[in-house]
Amino acid sequence: MFEPALREALANVQKPGRYTGGEPGCVYKDKEKVDLRFAFCFPDTYEVGMSFLGEKILYEILNQRENWWCERVFMPWLDMKAEMERLKIPLYALESKDPLTAFDVVGFTLQYELSYTTILAMLDLSGIPFYAKDRDESWPLIVAGGPCVCNAEPLADFFDMMMLGEGEEQLPQVCATIEQAKKEGVDKQELLRRLSRIQGCYVPSFYEVSYQPDGRIQAITPREGAPAVVHKAIIKDMNKLPLPTHFIVPMIGAIHDRAQVEVLRGCVRGCRFCQAGFLYRPMRERNAEMLDKAAHDLCDNTGYEEVSLHSLSTSDHSQLEQVLDRMNEWMPKEHVSISLPSLRIDNFSESLIEKTTKIRKSGLTFAPEAGTQRLRDVINKNITWEEIEKTCSLAFRDGYTSVKLYFMMGLPTETMEDIEGIAETAQKIVDLFYANPDKPKGKSVQVTISVACFVPKPHTPFQFVPQDTEESLKAKQQHLLHSVHSRKIRVNYHDSSTSFLEAVFAKGDRRLAPVMVAAYRKGCYLDSWSDCFHYDRWMETFREFGIDTAFYANRFIGLDEITPWSHLDYGVSHEFLVREYKKALEAKTTRPCNRQCSGCGANLLLGGPCFEYSQDLVQ
Amino acid sequence: MNTVRIWFSKRGEASYISLLDLQRVMGRAIKRSGVPAWYTQGFNPHIYLTFACPLPLGQESLVESVDFKTEEEHPDYEAWAEDLRRVMPAGILVNRLCPAAHKAEEIAWSRYQVHYPAGMAARAAEQYNALPQALVEKKSKRGVKTLDLKQYIPEIQVQKEGDQDCFELLLPAGVSFTVNPALLTGFFEKEYGLKSSDAHILRTQLLNEKMEKFE
Repeated sequence: MFEPALREALANVQKPGRYTGGEPGCVYKDKEKVDLRFAFCFPDTYEVGMSFLGEKILYEILNQRENWWCERVFMPWLDMKAEMERLKIPLYALESKDPLTAFDVVGFTLQYELSYTTILAMLDLSGIPFYAKDRDESWPLIVAGGPCVCNAEPLADFFDMMMLGEGEEQLPQVCATIEQAKKEGVDKQELLRRLSRIQGCYVPSFYEVSYQPDGRIQAITPREGAPAVVHKAIIKDMNKLPLPTHFIVPMIGAIHDRAQVEVLRGCVRGCRFCQAGFLYRPMRERNAEMLDKAAHDLCDNTGYEEVSLHSLSTSDHSQLEQVLDRMNEWMPKEHVSISLPSLRIDNFSESLIEKTTKIRKSGLTFAPEAGTQRLRDVINKNITWEEIEKTCSLAFRDGYTSVKLYFMMGLPTETMEDIEGIAETAQKIVDLFYANPDKPKGKSVQVTISVACFVPKPHTPFQFVPQDTEESLKAKQQHLLHSVHSRKIRVNYHDSSTSFLEAVFAKGDRRLAPVMVAAYRKGCYLDSWSDCFHYDRWMETFREFGIDTAFYANRFIGLDEITPWSHLDYGVSHEFLVREYKKALEAKTTRPCNRQCSGCGANLLLGGPCFEYSQDLVQ
Repeated sequence: MNTVRIWFSKRGEASYISLLDLQRVMGRAIKRSGVPAWYTQGFNPHIYLTFACPLPLGQESLVESVDFKTEEEHPDYEAWAEDLRRVMPAGILVNRLCPAAHKAEEIAWSRYQVHYPAGMAARAAEQYNALPQALVEKKSKRGVKTLDLKQYIPEIQVQKEGDQDCFELLLPAGVSFTVNPALLTGFFEKEYGLKSSDAHILRTQLLNEKMEKFE
């Protein structure tokens, strides 16, 4: 089963169970009998990758085809990487233990900008050339999907093809096209031409990017008959799309080691900072019956004892109470508990608390995002202090003693007053706990505020704004610490240097590719792990290439400027983004999609209105 | 309440599942199988599992056991074994289910087979057999102790088995005192340059004080 070299490596590393495969639910096939082999690569460690729902969905869909075999590949941790290099073991897929070069397609999921150089590390461990132009037909086709494809231009030169949008229907189409091309023996160029005709398939080499003398983009010109604009792929009816019910159950703990049921996709809220809120428009729900059945099947098939109802905003599901009622019929007797990770503070009702805590009570987490009403209006996070107050009172009355709050700093138009507002909000919640006459005896309250640095992202109304500078963010962090006066409040904040790099790559262009290769050569990979993040090496590399990072991160992008992602369309019009940006500056809010359509353009993807507006879905 | 013992082999991929992880893997497998296991009644209900004699990471075994409780008065061992076989990860093979006859604390000895690629172990064993003593460091929670392997393994008889060298070991394996066969393969590596990772260690039997089979 294991080659001697692999056995030797496994004997010398921490948690070898990450590198063996064989978990319940994983799919083994006879490689002689399959026509297409797909390596699904997650550019981070096993524990992170095995938490990712998208991989579970696509793994199940691809492996349902008898003659296709989808396998998993993760980035080995430093000790294993060193052993593999020492023993000359190429990066392999967990199921067959075959190297990536044995596959027809190697697909990476792009979830996070700081995983980009880990992709290079994985290609390097496989002996695969980085640049697409250096790979002929003898190499696997290297493709990418996931949210960061919305502007993965810094990686464009490395990939043969990228997939915009939702993969459930698109990826099988892509695989079928590749299988057919393989049978016909067509060359790579012809295969890419065929792929470029599939909705959402973007072949970067078919687009030429030219630049103005000042560094801004002059034009993006399609070649080879490729479309001028690539439109994302979308699932029109979520109720016709079966949910995955056969997760691979990791044997060593993944970060999210539980059953996950995706209740809805997209989000109606339109928070102006939130990239996912724009990329996954319009919001589409699954019905209660389908969700309940999927959750039940999934628990039966995996043995999981916790189900998480997953989405960008689970409490916006119009039938959430029905879903919970149905699930509460079987969950207690089967020892299954439920968690709702993405709740809105403004529609968190008493019965919701009751229905989710029949088995176990955990902490409450909310995301007000900004400390003052003015700034919350700027970012269109439509919640008020009264709503926060109501929810926390409810929770405290119910016996909760810890609240975690997420905020951002560096938001457009932010002042020190807004920073003080974060501390004041937390303090008011502490006071609320002590004002509650029914508070649990002898217990104290813990309010944790976690503050991230805002990163302006493509395809959002804030794509135009510069990121706050590191100096300013550091000053704001210090100001926040000084504004907190209670030991009941704990403050966590993020390192601004990772957010800065994230901003550079999020809004970056093709000129960053050689920088990434050089930084990787200096040991920059697994950048999202603090012990692997080498900011100085990154900055040194940018300097060597004469790249001004502020051009990408800290520059205002003109409202009519051609951006690196101008040719990539997610259904939301440029005019809408501009309109929203202007409203933000006036601190004017926009109503949620299910209350009033604000004309973003995404309804065209469905070919009709997104909602029946007679229904009053939002409380 | 009945205590049911699952006898299973732990091989291949499964030899890299640690005890802590194995508890979770088994708990979920039993739940998936639908076998009516008893849950603890506390704040955090879970299937109560007892592993008789945990195996070190990377070693294989034919005789692992784990106990669970059930309120079923007449367990159908055959049918339950079949249900469990359907849900196990690669490398965990359910051999049989039976009532837990002996207590786990009664285990005193364990038998192992050690395989090396052909030609590697014979010469090392010869040298080992000629030694007056073979001192190794045994690490435990209470600290590091020096132990003379010759006390427990006076002599090694190597046999050729196809393209492999093979020998058997009988070592103390109990609650109070255990000698890990990896101490010997570690000694072979340090003294004679045989890579530990080339050694396949397979546990083949568990015995009590009186050298009777643990059931």
